[in-house]
Order: sequence, then structure tokens, then C-alpha cells
Amino acid sequence: MRTLLVSVATFALSSTAFAAPPAGFLADHCVSCHDATGKDKSGGLDLTALKFSPTDPENFALWVKVHDRIASGEMPPKNKPRPPAPDIVATTKTLHDDLVAAERKAVAANGKTRLRRLTRVEYENTVRDLFDLPGLPLQIDLPPDGQVHGFDKNGDALDLSHVNLSKYLEAADRVLDTAIAKRPNAPAPIKQRISLVNPHGFVAHVLMNGDAVLLKDKRPDPDFPPAGDHAHIDQGAHERMGSFHNGASVGLFRHEDESFHPYFNEFVAIYPGRYRLTTSLWAFQWDKGKVLPARGTEAARLSVVQLTGDGRGGGHPSTVLGYYDAPSMDEQKHVITTWLNPRETIGFNAASLAPAANYARKGRAMAFTGPGITCDYLDVEGPLHDTWPPIGHKRLFGNLPITKFDPKENVGVRAPARAPDRQQLFMGKNKPDPVEGIWTVTSAKPLEDADRLLADFLPRVFRRPASAEVRNLYVARVRERLKAGDCFELAMRWAYRAALCSPDFLYHVEPAGELDEHALACRLSYFLWNSMPDEKLSAQAAGGKLKQPEVLRAEINRLLADARSQRFVDDFLGQWLKLRLIAANDPDRKLYPEFSKYLQDSMMAESLAYFRELIDKNLTADYLVKSDFAMINGKLAAHYGLPAVSGSQVRRVLLAPGTPRGACITQAAVLKVTANGTTTSPVPRGAFVLDRLLGQPPAPPPPNIPAVEPDVRGAVTIREQLDKHRNNAACASCHRKMDPPGFALEEFDVIGGHRARYRSLGIGDPATRGMIDPFIGIGFKLGPKVDSSGVLPDGRKFSGLAEFQTLLAADKDALLTNLARQFAVYSTGRGVSFADRDEIAALIATTNKNGGGTRTLVYELVLSQLFRTR
Amino acid sequence: MHTHRLFSAALLTAAFVTTATAGAAQPAKAELQIEKITYRVTGLFSRDREKDLRAAFEELPDFKLVAVSFDDAEITVEFAPAKLFPGQKPERVTELVNDKVRSVTRATFGVKPRRTVTRDKLRQVTIPVAGHDCKACCLAAYEAVAVLDGVEQATASFKDGKITALIDPAKTDKSKLEEALKKKGVDVGKSGKP
Repeated sequence: MRTLLVSVATFALSSTAFAAPPAGFLADHCVSCHDATGKDKSGGLDLTALKFSPTDPENFALWVKVHDRIASGEMPPKNKPRPPAPDIVATTKTLHDDLVAAERKAVAANGKTRLRRLTRVEYENTVRDLFDLPGLPLQIDLPPDGQVHGFDKNGDALDLSHVNLSKYLEAADRVLDTAIAKRPNAPAPIKQRISLVNPHGFVAHVLMNGDAVLLKDKRPDPDFPPAGDHAHIDQGAHERMGSFHNGASVGLFRHEDESFHPYFNEFVAIYPGRYRLTTSLWAFQWDKGKVLPARGTEAARLSVVQLTGDGRGGGHPSTVLGYYDAPSMDEQKHVITTWLNPRETIGFNAASLAPAANYARKGRAMAFTGPGITCDYLDVEGPLHDTWPPIGHKRLFGNLPITKFDPKENVGVRAPARAPDRQQLFMGKNKPDPVEGIWTVTSAKPLEDADRLLADFLPRVFRRPASAEVRNLYVARVRERLKAGDCFELAMRWAYRAALCSPDFLYHVEPAGELDEHALACRLSYFLWNSMPDEKLSAQAAGGKLKQPEVLRAEINRLLADARSQRFVDDFLGQWLKLRLIAANDPDRKLYPEFSKYLQDSMMAESLAYFRELIDKNLTADYLVKSDFAMINGKLAAHYGLPAVSGSQVRRVLLAPGTPRGACITQAAVLKVTANGTTTSPVPRGAFVLDRLLGQPPAPPPPNIPAVEPDVRGAVTIREQLDKHRNNAACASCHRKMDPPGFALEEFDVIGGHRARYRSLGIGDPATRGMIDPFIGIGFKLGPKVDSSGVLPDGRKFSGLAEFQTLLAADKDALLTNLARQFAVYSTGRGVSFADRDEIAALIATTNKNGGGTRTLVYELVLSQLFRTR
Repeated sequence: MHTHRLFSAALLTAAFVTTATAGAAQPAKAELQIEKITYRVTGLFSRDREKDLRAAFEELPDFKLVAVSFDDAEITVEFAPAKLFPGQKPERVTELVNDKVRSVTRATFGVKPRRTVTRDKLRQVTIPVAGHDCKACCLAAYEAVAVLDGVEQATASFKDGKITALIDPAKTDKSKLEEALKKKGVDVGKSGKP
């Protein structure tokens, strides 16, 4: 029987066009388990039936797995005799060479990276940069992109359907509508001071009931005494009496919640553009009618709110502008310049406060003692234009004059349609500044101008030179439209829209083999800016200098120093560490009452700032798992139980030795995205560490194995549940790798708080408050103790997280290699192939030689053939 | 019918005084005719509201506030109706004056014709209430009762803990006022006054 099996294996392995893998080695050491009879106990791999057909991706992947298991020493297993070392080396080398040869043959014609379109994030950033429209929302209207190898930049995930195309057409029209100037002069900027207690901003209602107070000179406004035993009656009467328009400041005790969304919507943007916002904030301690110094600096959030039709009663979609400090009894003025689109206003949230509900409490504000945040006002100024027409318009029409369209002088010519300037929302008190008539770009020599304008525009939008032939096609389109009766602007729009929907714009155009200068510039800018190259980078490419290592290195530094590199940090971390899922679930309110949106946004800010610090300070990869500093603000310091840090802004804080915080692995954002909102499980967290940090993704779970359900009653720990699970042989092989990192991370709860005991809603001891805000009620109990000890697959033991961190940090090369792979996948738009491993190993060696820093890794990657070849 | 009644009421209740105007008489004579008219005023729910009322008339330069009677809830004003409301019929003048007063006071004051029922036929009612010592809350409570048919005059003060009203017993009674106050959210029946 044994002889027969070996014969079958030998036949299967040799029946290929490639050099046969070492059949003898496999027959001697592998097929005794990995045969048809051992499928159940050997991970389903039957080597006797496995042909060597590397053109089949699945077959190729299986042989890579075989190679890796032998090379790592994982196979043959420890309970079997070890093959002689020279045999292992020879076998893995043969297999390696075969696989590399097969891969090179497959990719020789088309390169490794498939033709791929812009992701919707790249599309939005590119259009924003192209037309200087930094807040134009576009991606929200585009279909979501898929993900392969953990990122959405992979060509395999970026299909193009008719839906995409129709959305691109709509988006192009929106872009052109916004970019094209429709008047001879900029609309006059408005200056408007808005009270938080404006009539339609929700705050008036809570003022009446004691969740806020009006303050003058840091004392209760005598014209509007705080609600006490009685609430104020009839909001309309108060508005008519001018109670809310007497210059008083608004002191809020209540943060935003499901039924309370404070807006400054006496201002609603009419014109898209940049607006300057100025607000004055301070904090206080309210004590039953008295205004006293606050417990410290509080934080308020401002957001841009899109007043949509379906957001009636509050809860309109919004994006966070930032968190701003409100120092105790001392007004702090904050000035923010931001882009606003029509129908957008500003939202406010007294973010750092605990939930308060005075309206339902006897005595209301006059019986309340607690913190409050005061907003004196919000000043809005804008739209602000440094130049007119705006840059986006100039990119389309240069300096051609904008004149009033006279139908009498343009008989038979179609003028552009213009929607009237108007305030679209009744609550907005800012008025439009309309111009009379239709104003549009005019040209005395339309075709000459079209050719000139397109000669400038097409290379910019295609991110590489556009030939005269291509340009002529676009000019011909303009000619047709002019003949059809379109005015110059309308005719040009056809060409511009076509360009914005063309493959040259929508796709990353890269030649097979080594990238040319322009493709290299694009790959670099889409890596570090997630957007198109700017003029300087394009000029370097056009000048043929970009491939010079010193030029490339200087450009990397320049791009990373630019504010646009934050897009890379946001997007890369959003996918690599799955931080895009930070809001995928809201933690159970009974178990985690201290959770708030402010905490969640602080978590995100920490992870982003920490990664930025790694790159900026060129720190080594072990900082991913162990750190001597943290990037935190006041909220996180309290959450982590670290010494007091004041204010909402994240800053670098040195940690005392032994403090587990700081590194990615113990950041609250990472700990939240690896939990389910109710409880934690070592399995997803362990899998996350293996896959995302060590680059050793575990195999997917076998079918028909039920998930381990958490026990929030507190009767059984997750470790006890998993022990049963691991007794199953089919589960054990993966779980012995996955579970240990997860066990170590059991020291942290679902919102990243450190714990010695599990929280419970059933059995348990009364909980102490710890660092939880004293104004937050707690109802959970303390259940079983956390056991964070474990044993790594290689037998090394750890007693808890601190020891585990030390073990993990010692494997610096694995961490750096994985980071290199993640960067490579993200920047090249393809998975790291088997043949790329040598390249990765080489750049890791060079990086280590130069100190092993993460920024050095970026340099080495960009300089490598892996990055510079399609 | 409605117009006729309004016109009759205006004739009965408004006191007209014509004053000769000195100086260069360029405009037509009718336009110069200043009239002194007494109106019932709404929104004057407390004595200190008189100051607000006078401030409001500062914003109405075409009117001269001659007298304010808190006890009767009446004001007397001088103005030139023909100049202010050219082409309007006399019976519309009160309504137009009311519009102007409401406009500058965000509808917290208004005017209407003087009452036709003599005082001896009215009854004073006092309702103890508890609530905020807040002018706007008082306005809200005042309006809750002042709009009821049969309420000729009212005051509201949470500081004093009472709502008073001069009512026509033929048309309304205290319970209806209390009901309206409760509906507004006023704590009726116990005075908030210490």
C-alpha cells in the first residue's frame, strides 16, 4: 500500500511542464500523513493528488504553503523524524526556484500589477487637488470598492461597472458645476455672529428645561433664570421676547445624543468655498445656580453638518472638524478655516461632558452640580477668495474673460443654464449675493483657445503627457459642440467631462516592466498623498530626474512633510489596522457606560498620530508592539489611567517603564476594532496580530464549527470556553498560534481599557469607579479574573501582556518585514508574490543596515524594483 | 357685517382730536391731520412692561405715545392715519396700527379697540400660580388667558405668584382660565410666592 502511494505521488508531481518539486523528499517525509486517507488530520492536504500546475493560482498557493511549512521547520511535525538539514535546504531551494520561474513566466507579458482604476478615495482626492476644491464630497456617491490583500487598492478588487461609469459622469458634472465661475466677481463674503441658542438649533429647547443655562459675565443671565423646580414655558414666547438674542453665552451641561443635535444653523452655506469660523469656548463648574471654576479643560467638538432632507429633527450626516479646548473660566478663541458646500452648517457638541438629563430631574439646573461648557458665539466669515476666478476655474479656462451673455448678440447660441443663487433652507439667515443675468467665459478664438486650454489641462488630468493626436480628439469634440450651437463654456464642458471619465484619468496608466518617470511619480504620490502628483513632482518626472535616488529620496521627504500625507496615514491605517471599522459597533452601554464619540475620536487620533510619529521620527518596527511613549490627549490619559494630560489635542507623552500603552497593539482603537462591542475574544484579536502585524494570516475556520459566544453573565471566561474548543484536533493547530496573542490582549476590554477582571451584567462583585467620570452612572459588576498568560507555538511562555510584548518586540525582523509587505501591497496595488520575497528580504536587509527605521523602510521600498516595476 | 361692526366699534371707542400743525404747510391738509387715539393694549401684563412698550414706540417715529394706563391696559397715541396709511378705510386703521406695533415688538405687544363692556359688568379673578420669575414665561402665561373670549384684561407675575384677569362672566369663568394655564404648562393652584 505504502509503495503504491509513493508511486502515485511521484506520478502526480512529475506530470507538469515545470521542473518537478522534490518528490523523493515529499514521499519520504510528508505523504505518510498528507495522503488521501489522512485528509481529516492533515489540514485537508493530499500531496499524493497534488499536481504542480503553477499557472493555476490555487495550485501555486498550495505549493507556496508546502514550501513555507518545510522552510519554517513546522513540517514535518515535531513528533516525526527530522529530515537531514541539507535535504531541507535542497528541497526548499528547488521548490523556490520552480515557483519563482513559474511566476516570472506568468508576469513577463503584463507585469504584476493589473490595470487598476482609482479607488473612490483616490478619485475624490485627485479631483479635489486638480480643481482646488478641498471639501467637495464625491466618494460618498461612488460605489464602494472591494478589498484584496487587506487593501482596496488592488486591481483585483477594482472592477468598473456601468454603475461606476454613470456615477463618474454625474460626478464630473458636479465637479465642473462647482469649479466654473458663474459671475464676474466673487460673492461678497458674509460676516455673521451666531448664538448657539439660535431658533432652530435645538439648544433653546434644552435651555427651557435645564440642560443648559444662559450666562452673562460668567453669571446666570438675570433675564433668563436657570430652570429649577419649574421649566420655562413656551419657547416661542421666549424667542419673541428676545431671551435668546441678548448676547448671552450658552452654558451646556448635555452632550449630543440621539435626540439632541446643537447646530448653528442661522447660517447655512449658499456658496461653496472656504469659510473662517471663530468660536470662543470656556468651561465651568455649575453648582445649583453658581458658576465656579471647572475641574479642568473640557473639549467641544465642531462639525460640518450636511442638512439633508432625511435628517429632520437632527441627526444629519456630519464630519468632524475637530475638538477644541474650553479652559476653566477663561475664554479660548479658536479660528478654523474650512471648506463648506451649499446646505452645510456647523454643529456643536459639548463632547467631554458626561451624559446629563436635567430636564427629567427634580429641580433641574438649580438642583444640578456638575461640569458645563460655554460657547460665547460662533462667527462665520466667507466665502473667502484670494483670487477670482478661483483656481479650479483657471485650470479650465485660464484667464479668458467672464462676460454677461447677451442673447441678442448670440442668436442661435445656447447659453449655460444657471440655478438662481438662493438660500435653500428657511432657517439660514445669511442671504445670497446674486448677479443679474448669465455670466460665462467667452473666447474670441474658440478653437485656438480650446486647443491651448486642453494642452494644459489634459496632461494635468491624465498625470502624464498627452499627445497632440489625443488632444485633437478632444478639440474635435469642442468643434462639434460649437457647431451644434453651444456657447464656448458648454462646448468645453463636453471635452472636460470626457477627460474626467476617460481611462487615462480613471486608471493608473503604467507601462509593463519598469515604470517610466510619470508612472513612478504617480505611484509615489498615490502612495504618500493618495492623490495625483503636484506640479513639482510632475516637473521632476518631466525633467527625467525622478529616478535618481537622491531626487527620489528628497521627493519622499517633501511629500511626507506636506499636509496631504495625512491622507496616506488615514487611509493606510484605516485599512491595515482596520481602523475604518472603528464605528462598526457601539459598545454595550451597560457594560461600558464611559464610552463616547469623543473617546472614539480620541482613539483614532492616537493611532494616526502614533503612526505619524513612527514615520517622522524614523522609529523601528518593534515600536509597533512596545513603546516608551504614547500619543494621547486628556480623554485618553484618563481612559488609560495615565497621569493627567490636559486638553483635547493629542501630544507625545513619555511612559513610565512597564506601562503597556503607546504601541499599536495596545491602542484603544485597535483593541476596539478587534472586539465586538460586548466582549472580547482572543481569537479575532490573535488572528489580527498574526495577520496584520506579523504577516502570518491564519487559515479560515473550517466549516460547521460554531463560533464561541461570549458569556456576559460572568459565569465562564472566554479562556475556559476556548479550552474546550481547542480540544478539537481540527481546531487546535490554528488556535495554538492564534490564541496566545489574544490571551495577552485579554488585559484590555472592548474599548481598550485595562482590566484585571471581566465586567459582568450578572454574577460578580460591585465595581469600583476607577477613572470613569463621576457623572457617569455605573451598573456593571466585576466578574472572573483575567488570565493573560499563554504559550507561544515555539514553547516560549509569557505571564501577561508585558512579557508577551517583550517577546513580540524581539522579533523585529518579522514586524519590519510585515510592514514592508503592507506598504508594498498598498503602494503597488497588488499582493506580494512569492518571487517578491527576495526583493522584500533585500530591502529589509538594507533598511536594517541603515538603522531599521520605518521611514528608512519607505525610502528603500520606493527605491526597490518591487516598487518601480509594474 | 363684520366690517360694519368694526367700523361702529371704532367710532364708539376711539376719541378723535384734530390738531392744527404749525410751519410750512406743503402736504395736503388731510395728510397733516394728527389724530389722538386710545387703544386697548395687549402684552402689558405687568407694570414694568410699560418701559418695554415705550422703548418699542421709540422705534415707531410716526407715532407719539401720549399716555399709558396699566390699570386699564390702554394707550393713547398720536399719529396721522391718512399719511401713514394712505387710501385705507378708517375701519382698517386699528388693524394696521396693530401690525406695526406687533412688528417692532415681535408680537409681544399689540393694540385693539377699547373694550365695549363697562367695568361694572366685569369680574376680577385671581389665580395663584407657581413658575419662573422670567418675563417671557409671564408673557406665555398672560397670552394663555388673554386670548380667551371674555377676557378683557389680564396680568401675569410669577414673582407675585398670580395671574389676574378681568373677565366677562357671561362669556367665561375662572375654570376655563385655569384650564388654559395648565395646558400651557403653568403650575396652577399654588402660589410660588414665599
